Amino acid sequence: MHSLIQLSIVVLLLPLLSFVILIFFNRRLPRRGDFVGVGILGTAFALSLYIFWQVIVQAYDPAFRVAWDFTWIDLGNVPGLGHLEIKMGIVIDNIASIMLSMVTLISFLVHLYSTGYMAGDKNYGRFFAYLGIFTFSMLGIILSDNLFAIYIFWELVGLSSYLLIGFFFEKESAADAQKKAFLANRIGDIGMWLGILILYSQFHTFNYQEIYANLAAGKFALSNGWLTAAGILLFMGCVGKSAQFPLHVWLPDAMEGPTPVSALIHAATMVAAGVYFVARIFVVLTPDALHVIAFVGAFTAFMAATIAITQHDIKRVLAYSTVSQLGYMVLGLGVGAYSASLFHLVTHAFFKACLFLGSGAIIHAMHHEQDMRWMGGLRKQMPWTFATFTLATLALAGLPLTSGFLSKDAILAGAIGFAQVEGGGIFYLIPFLGFFSAMLTAFYMGRQIWLVFFGESRTHLKPADDHHHSHDAHSGHDDAHAHHGVHEVEWNMRAPLVILAALSIFFVYSPDPLDGAKGWFMKMIPTPSTVVGSYQNHSDILHAEVIKTSHEENVVVEHQNNKHDAAANATSQTSTEHGEHFYADPRQAAVIHAGHGAHYTAIYISSVMVILGIGLACVVYVFNIIDPEKTAHAIRPLYLFSFNKWYWDEIYQATFIRGSVIIAKMLSWFDTHVVDGIVNGVATIVRNFAFLNNSFDKHVVDGLVNFTAFTINTTGGLLKKLQTGKVQTYIVMLIFVVFGYFVFYFSRLVY
Amino acid sequence: MDIQQLSIISIYHYLTISALLLGLGIFAVITRRNAIVILMGVELILNAANINFLAFSKYNGGMEGVMFSLFIIVIAAAEAAIALAIIINIYKLFKSVDVSRIDTMKE
Repeated sequence: MHSLIQLSIVVLLLPLLSFVILIFFNRRLPRRGDFVGVGILGTAFALSLYIFWQVIVQAYDPAFRVAWDFTWIDLGNVPGLGHLEIKMGIVIDNIASIMLSMVTLISFLVHLYSTGYMAGDKNYGRFFAYLGIFTFSMLGIILSDNLFAIYIFWELVGLSSYLLIGFFFEKESAADAQKKAFLANRIGDIGMWLGILILYSQFHTFNYQEIYANLAAGKFALSNGWLTAAGILLFMGCVGKSAQFPLHVWLPDAMEGPTPVSALIHAATMVAAGVYFVARIFVVLTPDALHVIAFVGAFTAFMAATIAITQHDIKRVLAYSTVSQLGYMVLGLGVGAYSASLFHLVTHAFFKACLFLGSGAIIHAMHHEQDMRWMGGLRKQMPWTFATFTLATLALAGLPLTSGFLSKDAILAGAIGFAQVEGGGIFYLIPFLGFFSAMLTAFYMGRQIWLVFFGESRTHLKPADDHHHSHDAHSGHDDAHAHHGVHEVEWNMRAPLVILAALSIFFVYSPDPLDGAKGWFMKMIPTPSTVVGSYQNHSDILHAEVIKTSHEENVVVEHQNNKHDAAANATSQTSTEHGEHFYADPRQAAVIHAGHGAHYTAIYISSVMVILGIGLACVVYVFNIIDPEKTAHAIRPLYLFSFNKWYWDEIYQATFIRGSVIIAKMLSWFDTHVVDGIVNGVATIVRNFAFLNNSFDKHVVDGLVNFTAFTINTTGGLLKKLQTGKVQTYIVMLIFVVFGYFVFYFSRLVY
Repeated sequence: MDIQQLSIISIYHYLTISALLLGLGIFAVITRRNAIVILMGVELILNAANINFLAFSKYNGGMEGVMFSLFIIVIAAAEAAIALAIIINIYKLFKSVDVSRIDTMKE
């Protein structure tokens, strides 16, 4: 076993140890055992950093990979399936080592931060225990080398997310939110499991590398549509976990959880697990599946950004911003900008965790006020929070010199390149939505900064009875209106902010503030070449092999023609592209090449968009040239559309939830009338039969028994009289018998 | 009927006497309430048997019947002793020798 593998197993199990200790013994430990969680996560982070150092700095090899596995369950020879054994294993490559350090670092910082934020909560110890089990499951997702293991850990993070969203389960909204999150994730996970089964049915292995190899060797016996379906089904897991468009509704509600949890799980790590998973299976995705992924991502990014503009709750703005940024990552994977997407995952994790922890600091200092309308003027009281929050905001908006700029720009460049290669007008929608969302991001983040930190304090404007905004309320805290004494948070909440803000600056990732591709990250995480390229749609693979070379050449030529000739017949071109996949590899190359070419275009457009967005925010909120209230009134339908989150909750309520209820009612009717009817009918028949049986028993069987008894009784009563107990009676009887015998005997002699 | 004929005592006379004795004995045993009278009835029955044995012995010409009747007399003596002992015990137990009142065999 490689020493790094051993080390990573230790890292994986340390948070589990923390969970076990804290869940059972937190009440017996001093300070409810928070030092156990913080200490263990600190150790885990130190070890992960060592792994990171060994892998990224020492090895510095894009293809670095160590793996180890063992047979977990050996079911032997299963009839109809062949030999069935389930392996577990660990793989460490560049992305895993980066994610490992990222997750342990953020988890460590969140542990540290929670010692301040959650202080005084009655379930303080259990909170740290849950953080431990979450970190364990997340590390499991990162390290596992097969689909089966990742599915197990996938469900485990779902569980820990469920537990932590409903941490204040006494509140009904929190209990509802945790149910919603769990159910939404469930839908995605079912699709994911079906996808895993499709791949398993073909290759009889869960291991990533073996799946890639088998697919590349053309062992996928089903049609290409099935491979696309498998890709989209696997992507459904990501849709659920990473809150993509149809299932995004749970993430904003998940903000009912404590703010450190929002930072750790619902911003930085767990929601990014979906993206990480799609990245793991990136090479088996067909171009069709990638198109679906790209459109879902682009739409999610755009939709969430428009919603974020009008929200009042500081955490909800950040939640929609998270959905939007996850949309970017998914878009990036969909357009083939693999490394850019993972880059954005990591940079986003740091600055979004910083933003959430900053918002937590604000909420903490404001005595659990979350509504931005009643904030304002906090920059003087909370300078540290202000500085770090602003830095992270700039990174999120994608201003140059920040990490967010590097990664977002790389994704958008990839999107432009993708649209150029695909050549269809509809595909330009993806970069367009991306750039537009970038502008909206800058706008709503500018709005948030302004509302929270600048201007005068608006605490006194809050209506007296407006209690329902004070989420996250710990028990035993004073009244939400007691806003006197807003002051900077303690060091244990400030230090994580500073560290995370520092990781949002460009030089951590790349020496060039304008080009992430020159940094170590994108060099270490190259886009893997797809294995579906050499896969044939035809049944006769041999025939296809022969003609493959010529086809490829033709297609490349076609591609070049297409690029030079803008007026080329786009539709026919697309249809040929989609019909056959001989040239999937050249397509990928073309996309990546075009993405590099579009780099500067993307920089210009996105910078302009960001400046436009910030400028617009300034115009509206700083200089008050446009009054937000009046504007909202003027475009009231649009405002309401955004404010009510595109009515997705209502639509789902009206369709799926009500539909489910109707189906449930129908089934209930069916149950009560048909099934119960059958059961009752059977019962009636049985009952009547039983009555019959009963009367038979009573009259016939009992009659026989009673008759026998009666006969014996009567006979006995008669015979009893013979036994008088007097000797003389017996003598008389004796004499009669002897006399009778003589009469009988002698009469026989006579006759 | 002449004197010869009268003096001749045939076997039927013996048997008739014996049968009468037996009947009287049985009658005594069945009807009497006193246990001692019953015992007397038993003696009558035994003597009826003795007369039978002796009569058949006389008309058959052997001595077996005489031997039997001697045995019976001895046994009757023994039987009378035992029976009287039983009657004394019964009297001790029930304070009576009235057999109609002694019906504990029913239980």
